[in-house]
Amino acid sequence: MKISTLAAMAWRNIWRNRRRTLVTLASIVFGTFLAIMLTGVGDATYGSMIDTAARMGNGHVTVQHPMQVQAPAPKRFISGTTALADKIKADPEVKHVSARIMGQVMLAAAGESRGAGVIGIDPTVESKDTLSALGGISEGKLFGPDDKRGIVLGADLARHLGVKLGRKVVFTLTDRHGEVFSGLARVRGLIHTGTSAIDGGLCLLPISVLRKALGYGPDDATLLAVLVTDQRYAAAVSKRLMPLANEQRVVLTWHQTLAEMSGFIDMKLSGAAFMQGLMMLLIAAGIFNALFVSVMERLPEFGILTAIGWRRSQLFILVMLESLWLALVGIGLSAVVTALPYYKLSTDGFSIADQLGDGAEIANVMMDPTMYVRIHPENLALIVLAVVTATLLSGLFPAYKAGSVNPVDAIKLV
Amino acid sequence: MSTATASGPIVALKNVTKTYQQGAIEVHALRGLDLVIEPGEFTAISGPSGSGKSTALNLIGGLDTPTGGSVQVEGHDLGALGRKALSDLRRDRIGFVFQAYNLVPVLTAAENAEMVLALQGVDDKTRRAKVTALLDQVGLQGLADRRPDELSGGQQQRVAIARAIAAQPAIVLADEPTANVDSATAEMLLDLMERLNQDLGVTFLFSTHDPRVMARAKRLINLVDGKVDSDERRDG
Ligand SMILES: Nc1ncnc2c1ncn2[C@@H]1O[C@H](COP(=O)(O)OP(=O)(O)OP(=O)(O)O)[C@@H](O)[C@H]1O
Ligand SMILES: [Mg+2]
Repeated sequence: MKISTLAAMAWRNIWRNRRRTLVTLASIVFGTFLAIMLTGVGDATYGSMIDTAARMGNGHVTVQHPMQVQAPAPKRFISGTTALADKIKADPEVKHVSARIMGQVMLAAAGESRGAGVIGIDPTVESKDTLSALGGISEGKLFGPDDKRGIVLGADLARHLGVKLGRKVVFTLTDRHGEVFSGLARVRGLIHTGTSAIDGGLCLLPISVLRKALGYGPDDATLLAVLVTDQRYAAAVSKRLMPLANEQRVVLTWHQTLAEMSGFIDMKLSGAAFMQGLMMLLIAAGIFNALFVSVMERLPEFGILTAIGWRRSQLFILVMLESLWLALVGIGLSAVVTALPYYKLSTDGFSIADQLGDGAEIANVMMDPTMYVRIHPENLALIVLAVVTATLLSGLFPAYKAGSVNPVDAIKLV
Repeated sequence: MSTATASGPIVALKNVTKTYQQGAIEVHALRGLDLVIEPGEFTAISGPSGSGKSTALNLIGGLDTPTGGSVQVEGHDLGALGRKALSDLRRDRIGFVFQAYNLVPVLTAAENAEMVLALQGVDDKTRRAKVTALLDQVGLQGLADRRPDELSGGQQQRVAIARAIAAQPAIVLADEPTANVDSATAEMLLDLMERLNQDLGVTFLFSTHDPRVMARAKRLINLVDGKVDSDERRDG
């Protein structure tokens, strides 16, 4: 018997009990819809979280001194950054590379003093797309390339220090040899991002100023921050950049430089994976039930087919084809049902501002109050594969049951 | 297979016993049945309920195995055949007609009738041609595309008979083929089977309770308690 003949027969068989098939299909569609939406929200949210976090200073991939993560100190810097950056830029998935100096400073003004994080940047290569703090400068502006006296402060930090735009602050730090250095700077801009870590604890200085202050050479920096075209490529890019590592520098991904956020996302992802596993189990249980009942109802028919010469394997394949049809129709319907809501949610998104309230930060990363559903193609493929697998697996036992029918007993059931 | 002889009997049962274990009780369905069916016969098995008619037909059809004795079909000892060989023997050499629910409800009359040919791998064109002729032969002209639920009980049995003879088997086994139809329809099915027997030489072995059906058989075997009680041949 040709497989096409069996497939045609299987197709007609699944419509013998229309209601049962529709209920089964509904459960497949429901499960697939939820799986796609949940995964899509996760993909979009964590993707944008990772991108946001990467733009907070370290990039998706970071080249820095091996001890910088565990024990950051001014003496732990890297050299030859221009040549390194050129090599890194040659990777097709690298979007941007910039040398930065990151560390701690003491700021003082009018009798008030505060500790803060500092990022030394080259204003000619940085923008809000490479460093998110720059997007928050709503008062004043970033120091220009020739400005050796400029500083940008987080708005809350400035308030605590009692300074406004145009006023002077003194910054004090220890250089690479442990010597104290103090300098004077004038406030050029204030940052309002809504993220307390930035607004209350960050200042920006020209990288050239910091190089001098720390005793670095013109090609030295704390790190090279690398942004990639898609955060999912971070690991692959870092692997390709591995040859650049030596005793003085390592190549890390955001998983290592932003361990807290990485842990949070991993936790969320394993939660989602659990939910999806549960969903697949529900789908499988629904299909199993439908197929099992339909096989049990048809035992006399299978008995007669066995009598007239059907092989066990043919009955087995027939029922497996029925479950395959259910999977294919289920996935087709899921595509139809999911398309429009997915399109809406991927373009317009939905607001979670109400749920977020004010504390819209996770691991110091600002959350976007608009959530989007944008699933990664490989995750979509995984869901489709999981549905097909769940369907086929749940068809196995009913198919076996059909194939192992005893014709004498089965025909007696008539 | 060397034991097969073209001129020998189609079916030969020798001292066949069949014992069912029902909990602690042994049910002796057949107690030493001897039976030989020659080509071209038109034989009915009668007997009271529980006398072993279905059991005997199931053993001949290779659907069940005897407790003792031997069952031969065209010289092949069924006990020596594996599951696949038995399955092929049923497909190629034996036609089956059951009492009810013979047909696959989602297939048309033609598709049901050509089922065995499809199993044999006969190509679509040959199959179509054969089945059209076959449906004509069993009196179902123009009904080829009907589903079983669009056919009467008698018409359904005609489709089952068409399916059973499609591959020109050595014998057609029919367990109470007329039990589910009214007597007029039963007469017409008997007419059909008789015609197929006479015109095409199809060998029939069927069981029945119905005295009118028994009266149409050319050979009538009466079973009592799992043994042949009487065996009479009449000339049509
Ligand atoms: N699977 C089984 N388990 C136990 N006993 C069985 C089984 N199948 C048949 N029997 C018994 O074997 C005996 C013969 O049964 P069989 O079905 O062959 O009779 P029959 O002549 O076809 O009867 P009927 O006219 O009612 O169809 C009966 O006593 C029956 O109860
Ligand atoms: Mg019976």
